[in-house]
Amino acid sequence: MRAPLRTASLACAALCGALAALLCGTSAAQLPDGVPNISGAWERLGGLGGGGDSPHMPPREPPPPLKPEFRAEWEARREAARAADARGEPLATNYTFCIPDGMPGMMSGPFPFEILQSPGQVTIVQEAYNQIRRIYLDKPQLPLAEIEPGFYGRSVGEWRDDTLVVETIGVREDVRFRDVPHSPEMRITERLRLVAPDVLWDEITIDDPAVLEEPWTVTFGYRRMPDYEILEYVCENNREYADERGVTRLRTGPQD
Amino acid sequence: MHRSILALALLLPAAELPAHHSFAIFDHERTYTLEGTVREVHWTNPHGYIELDVTAGPEGIAAFTVELTSINMLRRANWRSTDVKAGDRVTAIVAPLLSGEPGGLLLELTVPDGRILVPPVPAIQTFKRTP
Repeated sequence: MRAPLRTASLACAALCGALAALLCGTSAAQLPDGVPNISGAWERLGGLGGGGDSPHMPPREPPPPLKPEFRAEWEARREAARAADARGEPLATNYTFCIPDGMPGMMSGPFPFEILQSPGQVTIVQEAYNQIRRIYLDKPQLPLAEIEPGFYGRSVGEWRDDTLVVETIGVREDVRFRDVPHSPEMRITERLRLVAPDVLWDEITIDDPAVLEEPWTVTFGYRRMPDYEILEYVCENNREYADERGVTRLRTGPQD
Repeated sequence: MHRSILALALLLPAAELPAHHSFAIFDHERTYTLEGTVREVHWTNPHGYIELDVTAGPEGIAAFTVELTSINMLRRANWRSTDVKAGDRVTAIVAPLLSGEPGGLLLELTVPDGRILVPPVPAIQTFKRTP
C-alpha cells in the first residue's frame, strides 16, 4: 500500500498548481480562471467563535436609515422586544418556529458557512438550518416579475477584479433582516473580497427607496476555517412555541 | 391557525440572537442542582435535550427537561452524542424556566465517569449560581 500512496502523493504534489488545489486539499490563492479562491468554510468575526478583536473587523453596523414613517414602528418593536426580554417573556421570532434567516440574514452567521466555487456558480451553505443560496455567474438577472418571492431571492454575480459582486432581488417581504421592513423591490448588492489571505468581507448594501432614506450598508467579516467540516442541521425537535400573547414558551416533559 | 402563527413569526424576526432563541426564558438569578437518572437523551436540533428523573433537588421536582444548546455548538465544544445516555446517574446544574415549568437550561453536567461537561451557552457567566 505504501508505494501507491506515495505515488499518489507525488502526483498530487506535481499537479498542485491552481487546477489541483481543491483535489489536493490545499488552498491556492486563485482558481484556474484567475479569480480569488474563496471556497471553504468561514465563520463570522465577532460571532460565536470569537475574533471580535481581529484587526480585520469590518466597520460597526450602522442603524437602518429608515424613512420616518417606518422608523417609529421599527423602534417601537425593538423596544417592545427588549422590554419583553427583560421581563423574561421574549417575543416569538422566526427561530421560535424553526424558520430560517433568508437573505441577507444568513450571511450574518450565526454558524459557519461554506462557499463552493464551481463553473458558472458560487454556492453558499449556511450550517444553521442547512440554508443554501446559489449565485449564478453567467446568467443575467431576471425581471422581478419573473421571480417568485422567496427566502433567498435570486442572485447573480460577477467577478470585478478581486471582488465578487452579487445582486439579489426577489426576497419575500416577510423575510426580514434586523426586523427591518422592506418592499418587494428591495435590491441587495454584495461585494465579497479577501481583505487578508484568510479573511473575507461581505459588504452588503440594501437599496429600497420605498422604505429607506438611503442605501444601507452592513459589512460582515469572516475568518477562514481550514479544517472545519460543515455539520448538518435538521430542526426536528423544536419544543418552542408562542403562547396567545406571542411570548416564546418551552414544552417540558417527554415528547411523544 | 398555522397561517396565523407563521404570520406572527415573520413579523418578529430574530435580531442579533446568537443562537436559536433568546435565553431570556431562563432565570439568570438562580440555579438548581439536580441529581437524577437520565430517562431520555435527544441529540437533536434546534437543541439537544435530556429528560431527567430527579432523585435529589428542589422539593416537588420529580422530572425535569434539561435543555442543551444546538448540537452543532456542542460538537464544536467537543461534546459527543455518547457522553450521556439513558440510565446514567448524573448531576445537572440548570437555570430554571422563569415560567415555573419543570425545565431549564443546562449550565454544567457531571457524568458517571466524573467528567464535568460545560455546554457552550453564550454569555454563560451571566447566569448567577445559587446553592
